[in-house]
Amino acid sequence: MNTRLRHLLGRIFIYAVLTAGAVVMAFPFYWMIATSVKSPQEAQQAAPIWFPERIQPANWRTAWRLGAEGDRPWWGGFAPGRTVTLHLRVEDPGAGRPRARVPKPPAVFSDPRSESTRIRIEPAEGGWKIVLENAGTQRFSTLPLVVWIPKDAGKFRSELPPDAVRSQRGYWRLEWVNVSPGLFGYLFHNYREAWHAAPFARYFFVSFFTAGTQVLGGLIIATMAAFAFARIRFPGREAVFLLFVATMMIPGEVLLIPNYILLAKLGWLDTFYALIVPWLASVFGIFLLRQFFLSLPQDLFDAARIDGASYWGMLWRIAFPLAVPGLVTYGIFAFLGAYNALLWPLIVTQSPEMRTIQVGLQAFIGEAGSDYGQLMAASTMAILPIVLGYFFAQRHFIQGIARSGIK
Amino acid sequence: MRTYAFPGLLALAVFSGLLHLSTQYQIVRAPMGALFLAFALAGPAAAYAAARVLPGGVVTWAGLGLFAAAMAAGVWLPPALDALALVGVFLAYAGSRDRLPERDAAAFWGWVFVWPALALMLIWNIFPSFFALWISLFDRFNFIGESRFVGLLNYEILWRDPLFWRALSNTFWYVVLTVPTGILLGTVVAVLLNERIRGLGLYRTIYFLPYITALTAAAAVWQWIYHPEFGFLNWLLGTPGLDWLHTPDGIFALALAPLGVQLSGFWAGPSVAFTAIMIMTVWHFLGYNVVILLAGLQSIPAQYYEAAELDGAGWWQMQRHITWPLLSPTTFFLAIIGLIGAFQVFTQVYVMTPTGGVLNDTLTVAMYLYNKGFRDSDFSYASALAVTMFVIILALTLIQRRVLERRVTYEH
Repeated sequence: MNTRLRHLLGRIFIYAVLTAGAVVMAFPFYWMIATSVKSPQEAQQAAPIWFPERIQPANWRTAWRLGAEGDRPWWGGFAPGRTVTLHLRVEDPGAGRPRARVPKPPAVFSDPRSESTRIRIEPAEGGWKIVLENAGTQRFSTLPLVVWIPKDAGKFRSELPPDAVRSQRGYWRLEWVNVSPGLFGYLFHNYREAWHAAPFARYFFVSFFTAGTQVLGGLIIATMAAFAFARIRFPGREAVFLLFVATMMIPGEVLLIPNYILLAKLGWLDTFYALIVPWLASVFGIFLLRQFFLSLPQDLFDAARIDGASYWGMLWRIAFPLAVPGLVTYGIFAFLGAYNALLWPLIVTQSPEMRTIQVGLQAFIGEAGSDYGQLMAASTMAILPIVLGYFFAQRHFIQGIARSGIK
Repeated sequence: MRTYAFPGLLALAVFSGLLHLSTQYQIVRAPMGALFLAFALAGPAAAYAAARVLPGGVVTWAGLGLFAAAMAAGVWLPPALDALALVGVFLAYAGSRDRLPERDAAAFWGWVFVWPALALMLIWNIFPSFFALWISLFDRFNFIGESRFVGLLNYEILWRDPLFWRALSNTFWYVVLTVPTGILLGTVVAVLLNERIRGLGLYRTIYFLPYITALTAAAAVWQWIYHPEFGFLNWLLGTPGLDWLHTPDGIFALALAPLGVQLSGFWAGPSVAFTAIMIMTVWHFLGYNVVILLAGLQSIPAQYYEAAELDGAGWWQMQRHITWPLLSPTTFFLAIIGLIGAFQVFTQVYVMTPTGGVLNDTLTVAMYLYNKGFRDSDFSYASALAVTMFVIILALTLIQRRVLERRVTYEH
């Protein structure tokens, strides 16, 4: 009995420690995602808001209806001729009629959105309804709104929770960034704003193109070299191999400046060549694949050679298909390295068109200022491809990392 | 002699092509005429020598002729036609393939397969390493203006540069604190995960996920967690307004201040800001350690534990006398990798404290190098820094090998 109790306590201890650790490890992810769906006012609270308004399903239905009224239920909008109705409950409707306005962006002379929106405020059951009609001919993707409610009206409740509530003399000033959001437009407001605030589509393209080319080119080059090192006896093999081993001692920082100068002389700065070419040959990849080729039986190659196969044919027809696990490992590593790199792309690119997602994000951190909702949305977008890839190829990731550690 | 014919031709062809390209792009401006003359003479000579040792045949002769012609034409060819010399080598091989001994074919194909990687390594790794050493001997090497050879002056300045010592001591604390912490925490988690628990996959995913997220994004998230006004950490600890990333006081100094001990300079330890960055780093790299250690644990044969259990050993004794020694190769590997990686820390520091913090309290060697090279455009000084960094990392790795490897148990 005693041993069983001790065993049980041991188990509880193990799970408790592991779970506590897991909570700490996972918290930053939760905090990032939670902040990415917060309005600035929600984000900037002294006490944290665990469940922001935008992830509460009760609000989704309203967002869906308002979006459908404005234009489309998923992504919202405000099409010509459409009418959006927002209900506003107040404790004492007799205290006075609220005022409403579509705010103009700062420092513009004329704003078609606020000029072509007709606002009517009508009494409704338990409060007011604010009817917004697009009387113009233009479609708008969002419809911001500001409403002032007299403070005498007591408690108020809006169908769609306001993104900010401020006190302004005798009124509560309620602000919505978008009263016709649609479901996704509501939930992913910060994502949409961040996406349009910086050319993220271009950043993603640069990152994927760079990483993809590096992986494909690197795989071919590393496979050929690894096969030669493992399976071909040629004069000078040991010397070249030693040279490759020696380069592993050199930290990347040593190469930054000479390679920068070389790229500048070639006129390759701020081009894809600068991002891709210096990283095509990877000693790590060559070593990894060499181990793989060495583990294949030599008889296989001897037999093929006697049957008249050329080295070229042996490499691509026999060795290559058998080394697929090694290729996947190297591919994942190379892609991760290229996608997550900051220092190199930061140095060799200048124009926004050539920024990778990491450099773009780093620049966005400076530009976004205090809008942490958008910043976290951008961060989430930046890590999303890799995390999705991880869930699809989990086994390969784990095995690949584990394999890199066992010599 | 025979075995070197094709690799030799291949090397000549590739080198002349590279030389040609390098003059086109004005990488080297030195008197190249002599080198070209040498190649123009070496080409036909090599073709003649090869023709002597290779079995004859029309195609072989045509290939060798093409090679010799392309080499001799040298600099007058447009760069795109450099490939003609290469085509010649392949043609010569194709012509004599049937009558070549196995060793010659192996030599040819071995070099063909290694060449792309070797050429890239030569251009982007090996040559630049020496080039870095070379430009560190100049006075303000950059694109504008003349620079003159000053010998070791940059290293002398570096030795007296307070900012360099500041960066080095910061990096020292960073390495000393993050690497062992990461390995220790990783070992604890890996040992617990190895206890045949339920939900292993879920736990492993959670611990591993930070490692694959980009450091830039992770640093942005932690910066938000550390925010002085609205940050989560200040709410959790009940320390409103504490500006983690802008507090330059050393943590050892802060910890010992109540005891009346005054520490300053190096012994004050890493600043609060840098410690915050270290915590983020340990979080980020823990998953890597866990996965590697878990693989190491799973390679320990179960018989050892069974035997120990029969002998009445307790759980702790088994960990102490079986797991720890048999895991030591893995731990050692992580220590080496961690040391090299930690010494080059840049990204998270640059994202969280772009200016190097208050009073340079988060300046690391790599960040100082970046500032010197790409903000101040002082390539020579930055190269001197890089070379110094290389020497330090090499020395530390060798010391680590000497000290730690004795305690590593390799046999199972």
